[in-house]
Amino acid sequence: MAYCLPLPATLAESPTPSAGAADTELVAQLQQGSEAAFRTLVARFQGRVYSTAYSLLRSAEEAEDVAQEVFVEVYQTIGRFRGEATLSTWLYRLATSRALQHRRRQNARKRFAFFTNLLGLTNEVLHEPPDHAHPQALLEGVQQLQQLYLHIGRLPGQQQVAFTLRYEQDLRYDEIAAVLGTTVPAVESLLYRARHTLRQHLQPASRHA
Amino acid sequence: MPNPDLRPGSDAEWQELLARLRRQPPPEPRPFFYARVQARLQAERTRPLPWLASWLRRPAYVVLLAALLLAVSGDGTALRAAPVASHPGQLSPTPTR
Repeated sequence: MAYCLPLPATLAESPTPSAGAADTELVAQLQQGSEAAFRTLVARFQGRVYSTAYSLLRSAEEAEDVAQEVFVEVYQTIGRFRGEATLSTWLYRLATSRALQHRRRQNARKRFAFFTNLLGLTNEVLHEPPDHAHPQALLEGVQQLQQLYLHIGRLPGQQQVAFTLRYEQDLRYDEIAAVLGTTVPAVESLLYRARHTLRQHLQPASRHA
Repeated sequence: MPNPDLRPGSDAEWQELLARLRRQPPPEPRPFFYARVQARLQAERTRPLPWLASWLRRPAYVVLLAALLLAVSGDGTALRAAPVASHPGQLSPTPTR
């Protein structure tokens, strides 16, 4: 895993003192093995964890798998959580690293399937399934967003995580830095490069002429 | 092939695209997510020997691994056919000094 426990001590503070206190109390109850606390944790964070995984994988099935993995890991390792980061930072960190792991495995499987198909070991169809979207779905806005999603998915892992956390999860720069275990300037650099790459890919063809 | 005219070109279009990305409703997990997490936790608890790789629990792989270890370890005598001794004097293949 790219980044996991133990958490560094330089992570961002909780957004509000009350939320921080509530999280501390929740963690204390979780560490005592409270099932009710675990249910509360899942209810409170399942949306954020799932949507983060979905943003990185663009697959409901895989996002569900990652979200489940994250909560299982939290349940199993909560005893090692020392509160050096906020609970949400830790969960975002688990979600993004697990999602990137899934993506790497998925890419490896695709490469393996490609080679076994070349060798005639399987009869799998290699081409991408055709998109039978209704013409209505090809409206300008939808198409632009689909193109954007496609190119976000092709960004390097760290850039993709930074971009997703900023523009889809609406996290602040310092929060993203805490999730990635890096500095705010490094996040700014990641976001600059991500935006630059995306704009290059989404520029009209006439601009390249 | 996307229509190039629909791609964002100007800064305003780019900013609008990012704003539209932010306005997208966040995807939610299917109902009863907690129940599925609990089921997964239960499955994790009952999984036998989690520390042992699953492929290592298959006899064919274990035999293959054992054969491989025998082949690469030592001088490979385990895989070499023993010389047939016709009489006691030929037991050792190396000449005695």
